[in-house]
Amino acid sequence: MAAHGNAGSSGQLNEIQFSISKQVLIVNNFIVKDLMVPLAEYATVQEGSTLFEAVLTLEKAQEEFDNEHTPYHHRAVLILNRDKKVIGKLSQLGVLRAILHDNERTQQIEDISRFGFSTRLINSLREKYRQEEAILDDVYKKAVRIKVEDCMQTPSEGEYVDEMTSLDTAIYQLVIGKHLSLIVTRGDKIVGLLRMSDVFAAVFHTMKSSELSEKIRSEYAGAEKAS
Amino acid sequence: MQALKKLLDRIIQRVNINLRELGFDVSPYVNEIIPLKQMVKFYAFYGITPHHPLNFQFTHSNLAGSYFLGKCRVTNSLLYKSDVRGDELKKKGAVFHYQQFEIPITRDEQIDIEDSFLIKTLVHNYSHDPETLEKFFIKDTISMHYANIHGSPSDGCFLGPFSTVDLTTMHDCVVGTFSYIQAGEISHIKIDPGTVWIRSPEKFNFLYRYESNLLNNYINLTSGNWPKGLLFDFVEDRKKDFERIFALVNIDPPRSVPGSASLDRYAVIKPHTNISENVLVAQRAYLENAWLGKGANAQENCYIINSRLEGYNVTAHGGKIIEADLGKKVFVGFNSFLRGSPDARLTIGKESIVMPHTIIDIRDPLTIPPGHIIWGLVTNKKDMETNSMPISEFSKIETRLSMGNMIFEGSGASFISALQHRIEHILEANGAFFDGAENKGHAQKNQSISFNTIQPYPMGELKGLYPSIIIQP
Repeated sequence: MAAHGNAGSSGQLNEIQFSISKQVLIVNNFIVKDLMVPLAEYATVQEGSTLFEAVLTLEKAQEEFDNEHTPYHHRAVLILNRDKKVIGKLSQLGVLRAILHDNERTQQIEDISRFGFSTRLINSLREKYRQEEAILDDVYKKAVRIKVEDCMQTPSEGEYVDEMTSLDTAIYQLVIGKHLSLIVTRGDKIVGLLRMSDVFAAVFHTMKSSELSEKIRSEYAGAEKAS
Repeated sequence: MQALKKLLDRIIQRVNINLRELGFDVSPYVNEIIPLKQMVKFYAFYGITPHHPLNFQFTHSNLAGSYFLGKCRVTNSLLYKSDVRGDELKKKGAVFHYQQFEIPITRDEQIDIEDSFLIKTLVHNYSHDPETLEKFFIKDTISMHYANIHGSPSDGCFLGPFSTVDLTTMHDCVVGTFSYIQAGEISHIKIDPGTVWIRSPEKFNFLYRYESNLLNNYINLTSGNWPKGLLFDFVEDRKKDFERIFALVNIDPPRSVPGSASLDRYAVIKPHTNISENVLVAQRAYLENAWLGKGANAQENCYIINSRLEGYNVTAHGGKIIEADLGKKVFVGFNSFLRGSPDARLTIGKESIVMPHTIIDIRDPLTIPPGHIIWGLVTNKKDMETNSMPISEFSKIETRLSMGNMIFEGSGASFISALQHRIEHILEANGAFFDGAENKGHAQKNQSISFNTIQPYPMGELKGLYPSIIIQP
């Protein structure tokens, strides 16, 4: 009975193992298209919009976001020209950068980092300046004044990836280029965005699946030995 | 003149290629800034002494009005009224200490200038770069009026007028007008005008930046124009005095000087000047009604007028002192401009340190107490509150300090100690401590020097170029 029971268990293990291995295989065979967010689902604004309009669009996109598909919210807005072509990307970092004071004094403070001073010293100078003029005092006025094209980031050649590219290659492109997302193309057309958060989720899922697969495999091997 | 024009174009192109990453085009600053016909007018000259290797190589270059001492090689370059003073180069057999390394010097060090255009520039000291100990190179570099390249190998750089790069290797950099850099090594960086930066990693970091609107009164450079401002006018106004000295083949010493002092025949000495023992007065120094106490020195492009220096004073290259009284061992750094007036004299107490590229320009009398360190722009007593400090107080800084336009980080004691150590070394090298037998320095060694002159082709295809010459014992 015991031997039969073992044989029965090992049969079940094989099925689970097969299923998990299949999952790992699927992730390994992902292409960019499988993980990208289609352009239609992404937050976009027209060129000429203000920074405030872009932020509102981003907020709306986050509210409407399908949490079941991925736990990661959008963190950027794409800027489209009149022909609906993507001409730039405005990230959360870009928004924050845009609202910083940009005058001779702040430029001087930021310029100091070129001379090898510590972050602690530079922060102490920023604190001193903040007492005279805080960033958040006139943030709304700035947001309705600044146009998105003045603070967007124009994608470089290394930020485009074809939708049929393997996930492996896309990961290289993200890591080497230090990008948070890649713009996905089909021929001349932009069809979506490959976000680092989604790629990370896929990689993490693969790790977990592989770990489980390893455990089951070793348990199965132990059971086989015992029988 | 075609040969000179071609050479200039070639140099501009090479420097621009190096500076393309910074988006800096040297052409508007250099083209026609020195009319090429000027470069045919002046002879070059070199010093011969028993104390320095005699080894000059000049190839396909113009050397108008320039001076050479020590082991120098100049190739495909234009040197206009520049001083290449190789009297502190490393000698074969010496040992260079760097961190934990002791590196033997295998041959006499050479100043090697190639594809460069130096205008009224001083090249002095020795290469501090452990990677190139026997070659102090200046390559693909353009330096403007009264720049100092001091112990600083340079490749692909532009130095603005009255700038100084000190003990720093530089690659592909733009150093702004009246900036002073001593940072060990810099690359691919554009330094704004009026930046005074002294850094020793892990030890200290000093930065002062002039406000551009204030600095522009003293010196500024715009494309297509000569440098402008009070500093430039000051030296240009005295140019004629130097032309007279350079025009004479033989010149009688203007007055007797002590046997232990050295007064260069290419210095301008006006009446009522006193030279004490162990004093060093270098070529292109200008003294007028100046009292130099024992062991004081006036280096290249220094102007000391209606002033008294009590003794053991270092006035570094380009320092200017007008209507001032300096106590013993007051140090005045590179290109500093200290100007009082007959009704408003400037007094600086003993053992004070005037940092490089400091401007003290006063309308009312000003007294700086002994033992102070002074930096930046000082025009009145109030400025002293943010631009000076007792040395003893500065030495107490352990973390950081921000005062006016100056910021400092690191050990104040280490910073002061490095400055004081260097001042002692300069005094020693200049022979200030000579006792009649021991401690000879430049003041004593430079007495036995003779000068030879060389001339360019006066006409023809090669007009303006100096013939290729090798001068060896």
